[in-house]
Amino acid sequence: MITIEHLTYTYPATSRPALQDLSLHIPAGQFCAIVGANGAGKSTLCYALTGFVPHFYRGRMEGRLQVAGHDIAVTPPSALVGLVGLVFANPFNQITGACYTVREEVAFGLENLGVPPAAMEQRIAQALALTGLTDLADRSPFALSGGQQQRLALAAVLAMQPRVLVLDEPTSQLDPVGTREVFAILAALAAQQDTTVVLVSHALEWVATHADRVIVLMAGRLVADGPPTEVLTRPELESWGVGTTRYTQAARRAQAQGLVPPGRPLPVTLSQAVAFWS
Amino acid sequence: MALSLYLPRARGLHRLHPLTKLWLALFLFICGLALPGVLGAYAAFVALVVPLALWGAVLRPLLVAAGRVVLPFAVSLVLVQGLFWPRGTPLFGWGPLSFKLEGLLFAVRSTGRILMVVSSFLLFALTTRPDALALTLAQRGVPKSLTYILVATLQIIPRFQARAATILAAQQSRGLEIHGNLRRRVRALLPLIAPLVLGSLVDIEERAIALESRGFSRQGPKTSLLVLPDTRGQALARRLLAVASLAVVVMRLWVG
Amino acid sequence: MQRWKQDFTTLSIVMIPVAIAINIVVGQIIYALKIPLYLDSIGTVLVGVLAGPWVGALTGLLANLIWGLSGLNVTYAPFAAVAAVIGLLAGLFGEGGWFRVWWKVIVGGLITGLVAATISAPISAYVFGGVTGSGMDAVVAIFRGMGLGILPSSFAQGVSSDPLDKAITFLVVWLIVKALPRRFVARFPRAENVR
Repeated sequence: MITIEHLTYTYPATSRPALQDLSLHIPAGQFCAIVGANGAGKSTLCYALTGFVPHFYRGRMEGRLQVAGHDIAVTPPSALVGLVGLVFANPFNQITGACYTVREEVAFGLENLGVPPAAMEQRIAQALALTGLTDLADRSPFALSGGQQQRLALAAVLAMQPRVLVLDEPTSQLDPVGTREVFAILAALAAQQDTTVVLVSHALEWVATHADRVIVLMAGRLVADGPPTEVLTRPELESWGVGTTRYTQAARRAQAQGLVPPGRPLPVTLSQAVAFWS
Repeated sequence: MALSLYLPRARGLHRLHPLTKLWLALFLFICGLALPGVLGAYAAFVALVVPLALWGAVLRPLLVAAGRVVLPFAVSLVLVQGLFWPRGTPLFGWGPLSFKLEGLLFAVRSTGRILMVVSSFLLFALTTRPDALALTLAQRGVPKSLTYILVATLQIIPRFQARAATILAAQQSRGLEIHGNLRRRVRALLPLIAPLVLGSLVDIEERAIALESRGFSRQGPKTSLLVLPDTRGQALARRLLAVASLAVVVMRLWVG
Repeated sequence: MQRWKQDFTTLSIVMIPVAIAINIVVGQIIYALKIPLYLDSIGTVLVGVLAGPWVGALTGLLANLIWGLSGLNVTYAPFAAVAAVIGLLAGLFGEGGWFRVWWKVIVGGLITGLVAATISAPISAYVFGGVTGSGMDAVVAIFRGMGLGILPSSFAQGVSSDPLDKAITFLVVWLIVKALPRRFVARFPRAENVR
């Protein structure tokens, strides 16, 4: 579904490339998490997957990037609508402002895609149900909480039924309640496996439990790639500017103090920790 | 939540298609400007605007809003044109000046004109939902970017006003003075305007990206979730209004 | 002339509602502070400079119509054409590089104000009987007392306030653009106007 070959991208008027010699293949249906320190190039990768890099931000791009069969270098974001969906951190900035109700907000993208009204109604109902917004369908988007607005952004994107969903830190500006709500929806998506999902997040414990694969970026380069258990227990994580889960931290300390046999693989999730300690 | 004059009503004038109401407003506007005589505009107001406003159950709000706008103009007209009409016929004195007949007649006629111009606009705005107007325009081929601007602006103005109030309170708590002589008030401008303007521009980029992601600049046929009811009778009425407007203009040009 | 279509990028269009809100709210602040200016075109001029004359013209046109539709000030609506011309001129001056030097900014504003007063006068005379309903009408009274016709008196009133108002508006926009982050300005179609 996503094929990246030696991608190097530099924003205009900067000297250091934001992405360096990145090569990556993400098969259809995979739930792939991207982690890394700030400035590592995670957002740039999200924009590249949706065509905003290079078409909105200009700059210099080398290498090849193919998403859902389209070569990004020649495909602007408007041509990717309906194929690739983007949700980013600020919930308020994703409200179009052109709609008076939540229902119309979800319809906005479908109207632009030329979806017939009957099909629209069905897709909207589905998207609202998936994101728990059915009761709020007639409310103004401006009268929602941050978490509700982010769910609305998700609903609006999901209604367009994209093959690839890209989420750039979708919960970083939400309170704990909003964060929980959004992650619940993402967990349902992860279980379904018909949408390819790329998630940038600092919530390592959630990622460890739900992601199929974790990719670590540092200074624009790919430094680790594999299942969560393998990547999130690597000792280099700290030097890459990525943290570790509580379970890994506790287990590592126990191993260092000789409380547990040294060869045992470190846990990254609660269930693994339970197995580790028993 | 959005800013508008619109007052919801279940029946009456509100039920008409927005385009019909638009033509109605245009016809009233032309009548206001083109009808002859000192009292022509007032006649149109009483004969056309008042019954329509009653039908829409918005007469009282219309009179209040119109009165508020027209009153300062009426006062200015009476004082400026009434007292200072060059080579006019003096009627009665007011201190060293005197009110001229031609000036007062002009003031009355102009006030009537302003009344009709303002009322036609108010009648439309009081009875039409802005998003219904946007939908109508989009259906008639107006680009979606324009209708976006219409609705988005009305929704962000109240938020802007709230932000301005917040900035005012914050700056005042830091010792900003907004009363006093002109210099002090002018000095207060920059600390109020700068955060408002600069802060509002920061979000534009992300909103543009969000809109693009939803196909805002996509070419190709677009559909609409909402439908506006229209009738053949209204389509005919619109054509009649267009003809009537033209007739008024022609008549005015002919009579001179 | 083909360039004008490219000016209507999504970013330019998203800017317009914000610019109109800036027009309205700054105008309200000026009124509340009782400063004898209008300063109600800052957003329009800003769009003209950053996105070109035609986007600027559209901003001015819609600003006045929406100002009326919102109910905040119905009397702005008949002057929509004047506001459009202000946006157009701001864009043309921007194209001509007038927003790079402070004194050219002021002269551009003065000229724009003069043109605005010229176009406003007939509208004011025909629709509003040559008065503005504010204290500025004292100027109209003076000229009427001197024997001038309604249109010339209205024009004189406009000339006594518009050029200064627009010169200050242009200056404020110049300062705003200088204060904006450069990579933000670079995204706009006419970023070269202010570099």
